[in-house]
Amino acid sequence: MTERTPLFVNMTSPVQLFGTLTPVLVALLLVIIANLPISFTGGLLPAPALALAAIYFWALNRPRLMPPFAVLVIGFAEDLLSGGPPGLWATGFLAAYILIDRQRKTFIELTGVGTLIAFTGAMLLAGGAAYLLASAIYLRFVPLPPLLLETILTVLLYPLLDRPLHWADRSITRLLHSTG
Amino acid sequence: MAGSGWKWARGRGTKQLPLILCLIIAVATAVAGRTQAAIFDHARAALSDWTAPALNGLKAPLTAVQNWTAGVGSMFTVYSENTELKRENAELQKWQQVALSLEDRLRSYQQLLNALPDEKTPFITARVIGESSRPFVKTMILNAGSTEQVAKGQAVVNERGLLGRIYVTGENTSWVILLTDLNSRVPVVIEPSHRRALVIGDNTPSPQLELDVGDGPVQSGDRVLTTGDGGLLPPDVPVGLVSGNGEGARVALFASPSNADAVNILDYRVPDLPQAAEPLSAATGQKTASAKPAAPATPPAPPVPRVAPRAPDTADIPEELDR
Repeated sequence: MTERTPLFVNMTSPVQLFGTLTPVLVALLLVIIANLPISFTGGLLPAPALALAAIYFWALNRPRLMPPFAVLVIGFAEDLLSGGPPGLWATGFLAAYILIDRQRKTFIELTGVGTLIAFTGAMLLAGGAAYLLASAIYLRFVPLPPLLLETILTVLLYPLLDRPLHWADRSITRLLHSTG
Repeated sequence: MAGSGWKWARGRGTKQLPLILCLIIAVATAVAGRTQAAIFDHARAALSDWTAPALNGLKAPLTAVQNWTAGVGSMFTVYSENTELKRENAELQKWQQVALSLEDRLRSYQQLLNALPDEKTPFITARVIGESSRPFVKTMILNAGSTEQVAKGQAVVNERGLLGRIYVTGENTSWVILLTDLNSRVPVVIEPSHRRALVIGDNTPSPQLELDVGDGPVQSGDRVLTTGDGGLLPPDVPVGLVSGNGEGARVALFASPSNADAVNILDYRVPDLPQAAEPLSAATGQKTASAKPAAPATPPAPPVPRVAPRAPDTADIPEELDR
């Protein structure tokens, strides 16, 4: 899927604005869901970085709807809600964004397992950047296993999120087409 | 407007500039967050205050589901667990008799020595309305805040032992930094060797034990208690058991945040220092009766537990934690 509609033409109506902001709102919703302060595993498994799925999807398919500034805001929201040091996931998400931005032509052609591998790469880069920054901040290497668990969980959940993200994307397209 | 801004952000000539700028902001925020944590903490506190009613409402049904799912698993081991519990119960009843007789003996020694009784620490009972388990942070959110006089640094315990410390207080909520968190460092003493150490969280279930002062032997299974050094945490709060030896020693914690529903926040204050040196009996070195501190004009009010109004149904604090 590539950019199909001129989304920023005559964006004066609230409906168009809503349609344009939907990717960021969906990502923020995923941040909230991932950081609901309730654990079904008694704290054994960390919460997945669900927002990265939305960032990956729209940064790849509709980069105009997921600009770097929006990724920064989503990252800060993740940091704020998770209770962790500010800026860690903001940096991680932006690192993943750079990968997606650079490899768009390759990633956009991928389907099925290929998409999952590309998303795994983005998640590893996001986690790696956050890990290095956390280690620099705490002046020691922080334990890697919890981060690896979070990476695995996030990657495993991506196929479940892929369909709703496609549906949201189609809805945006319809909305923006219908309002001109 | 937003569209034109974003269009600029993706413009051809300056395509990478916004990305680099955002990256610099993110890294700078991470670095600044270490020194200016208060700004982010205030934001967090405001957010948890704002969402507290929703979290309170959400917690009950989700806890029920959680208990149910945990219960399904334990159905298969109920027989062996029951046998084990019966054995443990018989053993604990023996220990209870020993503890009661030792308590009597301690009380009589204290009377003989005219020892000052331990001051009771006031506490607030609060309900856990949230917990966060992420790779770089382990926290809990409680439904008591500055309105209930919860303050930064206070110890949070449950019936088993120390869970962590308060690190952010909002009006009606507070955040707890758990012992397992990367930022947690708690001074402890290891019994029976009386060796001082630090329990350092590293986001694993069993935090590291960094031996500090003294050279007594430390063995796997030794008890770890708080020292009260620094005046924030009360002394002798159970923390856990030493697991492993030497440099790689860790602490198997008594209290687990995963099954903590109601907790106690201890409002510990370091006892006031005496105004003047007290004369000692030349013969025994013990305090003489006349050397007892003069009674204040108005006797201090006995410590009374203050219970957070939103958690009225929580159980009383166990005796062993009520120091």
